[in-house]
Amino acid sequence: MSSHMLVQMPLLAVIGIVACRMLPVRLQDSILVKVGGSVPCVMVALFASSYWMLPRALDAALNDPLAELAKFLSLPLLVGFPLVLAWRRLTLIGRGFVWTNFISMLAVLGWLYIVAPVRVCNSYLVNDQESAGWYMVIISVLIFLWWLGTLMVGGGMGPDKHDSSGSGTTLA
Amino acid sequence: MASYTYTPTPDQGAKAGVLAYLVISAVVLLLMMLFGLLMRMEQAQFISIGGLWFYKLLTLHGAGMVGIVALAGAAVMWHFLGQYVQLTQGIFMANLVLFLTGVVMILGSVLVGDFHAGWTFLFPLPGTSMGLWSQGAAASFMGGLLVIGVGFVLLHLDIARAIIKRYGGLGRGLGWPQLFGPDDGNAPPPAVVASTMVTIVNLIGLVVGASILVMMLVNLYVPTFEIDALLAKGMIYFFGHVFINAVIYMAVIAVYEILPRYTQRPWKSNKVFLASWTASTIMVMFIFPHHLLMDYAFPKWFLIMGHIIGYLNTFPILIVTGYGAMMIVYRSGIRWDMCSRLLFVSLFGWAVGAMPAFIDGTITVNYVMHNTLWVPGHFHTYLILGMVAMVFGFMYYLGKPDENAKDSPIDVAAFWGFVIGTMGFTMSFLYGGKEGAARRYAEHLPNWVPYDRLGSIFAMLLIASVLVFIFRFLGRLGLARRDYQRASLARSMAT
Ligand code: HEM
Repeated sequence: MSSHMLVQMPLLAVIGIVACRMLPVRLQDSILVKVGGSVPCVMVALFASSYWMLPRALDAALNDPLAELAKFLSLPLLVGFPLVLAWRRLTLIGRGFVWTNFISMLAVLGWLYIVAPVRVCNSYLVNDQESAGWYMVIISVLIFLWWLGTLMVGGGMGPDKHDSSGSGTTLA
Repeated sequence: MASYTYTPTPDQGAKAGVLAYLVISAVVLLLMMLFGLLMRMEQAQFISIGGLWFYKLLTLHGAGMVGIVALAGAAVMWHFLGQYVQLTQGIFMANLVLFLTGVVMILGSVLVGDFHAGWTFLFPLPGTSMGLWSQGAAASFMGGLLVIGVGFVLLHLDIARAIIKRYGGLGRGLGWPQLFGPDDGNAPPPAVVASTMVTIVNLIGLVVGASILVMMLVNLYVPTFEIDALLAKGMIYFFGHVFINAVIYMAVIAVYEILPRYTQRPWKSNKVFLASWTASTIMVMFIFPHHLLMDYAFPKWFLIMGHIIGYLNTFPILIVTGYGAMMIVYRSGIRWDMCSRLLFVSLFGWAVGAMPAFIDGTITVNYVMHNTLWVPGHFHTYLILGMVAMVFGFMYYLGKPDENAKDSPIDVAAFWGFVIGTMGFTMSFLYGGKEGAARRYAEHLPNWVPYDRLGSIFAMLLIASVLVFIFRFLGRLGLARRDYQRASLARSMAT
């Protein structure tokens, strides 16, 4: 379960991120304009990634080839790709919002997995579920510390003006 | 060694947003004080509103006061910080809208839904009402807190963005290059240092608070998702304590910014100042276990940490600020008006109010004194005579008609009414606590009642004085937006 949720799925999103980065900047900008700017991109990424946090979505991906296909397509295309597009335009407020939201969601989801009274996935055992939960909590704490660290040393600003594009290469 | 001289800066009026914050704060503060008075009068057996209303008012008073002083503190911080870095007006207003939305949810939960589990929403009380309030009421209360928290996260992210943009990182905002390297005199001004500290600790506190709130909401509807009650308590107190502490660190910016204008002496961020703020940034996050000293189930090291850090954190900022203010005022021939009086007395209130906490933070004392009225005695002193006095000082400053305007005798009387009323009111708490009166009891034993009665009378004096402050401010709103010199120059300057 841990490797499914915390290795395979993030890597799928990373594929989207890398793919988007490989596109020429002009193309990225024009796609961003066509899809309506950075807010819709963030929203799509938020909802798509939330869906794959649901236990039954994990089960479906393992049992149903169609759902598996959907996972392999949606994580790169609807999470990684739009995030990179939006990232270039987001200032620290937008990026901070994405990060704080992601961190608290990851921590709470992990916590829910740890204390869940039942086995939430048919395909995994209870102790799988618990260790996945612990990994999530630990990862969220680490990400939070790292993110605060970038603020302390002054990375993570995003573009100065809303209408200019940043490089989109920094994470924070 | 850097040399420090005063460079006069133009005196700016408040933006409309800051005034909106202040007006709302003034009105809500007054309302919550009246709720407080009703509770105190109930304990004094002057009136009889019954247990249900006492606890409803206690919940509203706690949540309302903590929220509204945070709002007022944010207004002070935003006003002064905005003179050094470029803040976003839209975010500032979004915070206000989210705040008001949260307030409506909380009011609905308490007044309509009868929720009365206290502002600390301690697990598992909100979910175990035994039929006294509905799940919906509890959810609305916690949801309201969550919405208010989201607003503050946005505000702090904007502040972080602005400080990073101007100074290149939150570490630089705290003046680390000057603290750990040679002091070149270019450290950020106190307003920036304080805002940076508040932003760091509040962002951490709010993320922890949001996590426990969401977990409790899940648990409310699906109780089989069990929460470790001790962990929940730790997280709630971490969040609550950081948040309420941060309030005074926002408001003290008014002292740093305004007092120097009166005496034309600079309040510079020297090494000692920077060191104390950096130390407190860390300590403020580890001090909350002093609320948990009676929870024997916590690991021992955790409680000892609370004891030690509680001792240590009482002093740095307080001493640096108190000493700094003395240096600004000492033999300066400062002219005392309502603003300078309130700001100066606020440091007294802060220092005096910290002492009972210092005493109560000692484990052996805590076993006896905690959960008595001693604790409300502590925080009402530093919040009313410290924090709230800073906010009223700021209001008087904004509304001062001109540099040499004289205060009317009514204002001066109100000032003394405020000081004496607060001292009397808080002493009645402290003394009641010493006599063993438990906190959060709607009904008191007969031998506690005399203190409650005295306390109620002093509270009336305090509220009457606050009414004068508030009406004066509302009457001068028009002036508050203009840019002009407000501080009367000290006698040594105004030749
Ligand atoms: C005229 C002014 C005020 C009056 C008469 C008043 C009165 C009271 C009373 C009677 C209690 C309950 C004490 C108990 O039995 O446990 C209380 C609690 C409290 N007050 Fe005030 N208060 C005033 C101002 C303030 C201010 C300005 C603040 C904050 C800035 C504040 C924050 C609180 C808090 C946090 C509690 C604890 C609530 C709880 O135990 O859940 N109060 N107040």
